[in-house]
Amino acid sequence: MKLNVRLFSTICISALLTGTLSGCGGPGTDFDGTNKSSSDSDTLRLYIWGEYTGDEIIENFEEEYGCRVIMETFDSNEMMYTKVSSGDSYDVLVPSDYMIERLLKEDYLQPIDREVITNFDLLDENVVGLPYDPDNAYSIPYFWGTVGIVYNKHTVARADLETEGWNILADPKYRDKLYIYDSERDSFMMAFKALGYSMNTDDDAEIDAAYEWLCNINNTMHPVYVTDEIIDNMINGTKDIGIVYSGDAAYILSENEDMGYYCPMQGTNIWSDAMVIPKNAPNPDLANEFINYVLTYDASYDNTEEVGYTSSNAEVAAEVYGEGGIFEGNEAYVPRSGYEKDEVFRDNEYLRQRLSELWIKVKAGSTAE
Amino acid sequence: MKRFRSMAYPYVAWIAILIIIPMLLIIAYAFTVEGTAFFQGQFTLANFGRFFSDAVFVQVFIRSLRIAILTTVVCLLLGYPAAYAISRSGAGSTLLILIITLPTWINMLVRTYAWVGILQDNGILNFLLGLLHIGPFQFMYTDFAVVLGMVYNFLPFMILEIHTSLSKMDPSYLEAASDLGANHAKAFWKVTLPLSIPGIISGITLVFLPAVSSFFIPKLLGGGQYVLIGNVIESQFLTSGNWSFGSALSLIMVIIIMLSMYLTRKLDRNREDEL
Repeated sequence: MKLNVRLFSTICISALLTGTLSGCGGPGTDFDGTNKSSSDSDTLRLYIWGEYTGDEIIENFEEEYGCRVIMETFDSNEMMYTKVSSGDSYDVLVPSDYMIERLLKEDYLQPIDREVITNFDLLDENVVGLPYDPDNAYSIPYFWGTVGIVYNKHTVARADLETEGWNILADPKYRDKLYIYDSERDSFMMAFKALGYSMNTDDDAEIDAAYEWLCNINNTMHPVYVTDEIIDNMINGTKDIGIVYSGDAAYILSENEDMGYYCPMQGTNIWSDAMVIPKNAPNPDLANEFINYVLTYDASYDNTEEVGYTSSNAEVAAEVYGEGGIFEGNEAYVPRSGYEKDEVFRDNEYLRQRLSELWIKVKAGSTAE
Repeated sequence: MKRFRSMAYPYVAWIAILIIIPMLLIIAYAFTVEGTAFFQGQFTLANFGRFFSDAVFVQVFIRSLRIAILTTVVCLLLGYPAAYAISRSGAGSTLLILIITLPTWINMLVRTYAWVGILQDNGILNFLLGLLHIGPFQFMYTDFAVVLGMVYNFLPFMILEIHTSLSKMDPSYLEAASDLGANHAKAFWKVTLPLSIPGIISGITLVFLPAVSSFFIPKLLGGGQYVLIGNVIESQFLTSGNWSFGSALSLIMVIIIMLSMYLTRKLDRNREDEL
């Protein structure tokens, strides 16, 4: 009898230990990074940007394919990278262009099964075959767009935007009225473009000049750096100028008609977020099914209607922008394409390191006052 | 007795897994070259050098200390009278303590988000002030908002600690003081305050430690440009992917905090010797 008690408590403790330990390694991962839960073939682990899916898409997919979707969200590509590179396993990731290029270079991705992706032809030709993955062998576009300026049409002169472009951020008229999206990539993109450089430069003199440009704005204009709060705050009209992704801008414009959207002629970033399957995905078959499902008319429509980002499905994009569509005439919905000064981010290790080192210093610079 | 001692072994293992191993990992990362796995990494002091050689990081650190000290002082000034009143309120004190701890049942992040709604330019506070024809003021993204958020979140710790030491106090000391001719004020300064110092010290520790390392309160209420040392550490881990530098920063914090705790303990002990 005594032995039984001891046996029982050992079982309890070991159950407790294993339960807690496997919880530490993220979903379905053990400490050694291998996956031991691939047996549950009806679960899809999705790791995606916050507020990036339609109301019904997940539920409908679950119903149609008899599976369960576990969705986790991130708010920066870098945050996603940190989790994925430290061994967490997911079936589908939705990162941005330059991050996909990096994941590919570092051998984190497995090829998409193009046999399964029967809806490939529905994609907008503007987002197919981009430089980070020319054959779309590893990635299928989800949303795409530009980075631009949302401004209050009553308080910001359109002429100022047109003559100053990104330099409007340094115009003392608009001091204390700025929101800047808290992203090192996009902030340095504005600086590089304002100075007439390529945003993929790795020239130290150009990087330093961009750093000075941002420091000057930070120290004289009192901008506030926010992430997704920018959407609500611009809808409420808290500030007059905000640097946002075109998709967020489309949503802001549809909620507050005083707001306009402008892409400076100095050029901007044409970005796209695409679905990829990591090498350690427990359930790649279901992942391919999911990717194909997202491309369908219904799923794409649901996504774009709810989130406001430009759909990679050409028919859906044309319909919602066209007459009677929910984003009819919304100047932020259709990204500018084919403009020579617009660029796509490339992965560049040197630039990446310099920017992350400098960005915290730009922001911390306001403490020097 | 021995049998009881052996029952502590699982806890020792537990502490090793949850506290000691992570600590050792931080030390290992802090002293190795960035980008390599720590066990094959090269020994370096460059991570510490980077902190001390760059004025920006030192400024951020000083700013964090300033905000944390301000928070602690405000908590003490608000918390002591509150704790004193609660411990004097007799039967009602249990209810009052419950009310003080009630908000802490709700997640801190959610409560801090609520302040965003209250403080923002067209938020509740400015609306109420507008009814009185005052303002609007900009509360968000200022020192005021950050310190307010921290005081709001950490004040219960201060009140609870001081209340505990006050309520443990034997009332006969005060009776003795008045028997010997001390008035209320004098009895407070000579008896109550000195006896509550241990509570004050642990309250200060419990407020100062989370305040100096907090990163989401400054981020939410101060905006991304409100960079404290906790935000730098967070960005090193989450966005820059430079775990070595992040670990070195954490280690510098730990050392400074341990030093300050040692000093306060020592002060406390010296004071006790004098009594």
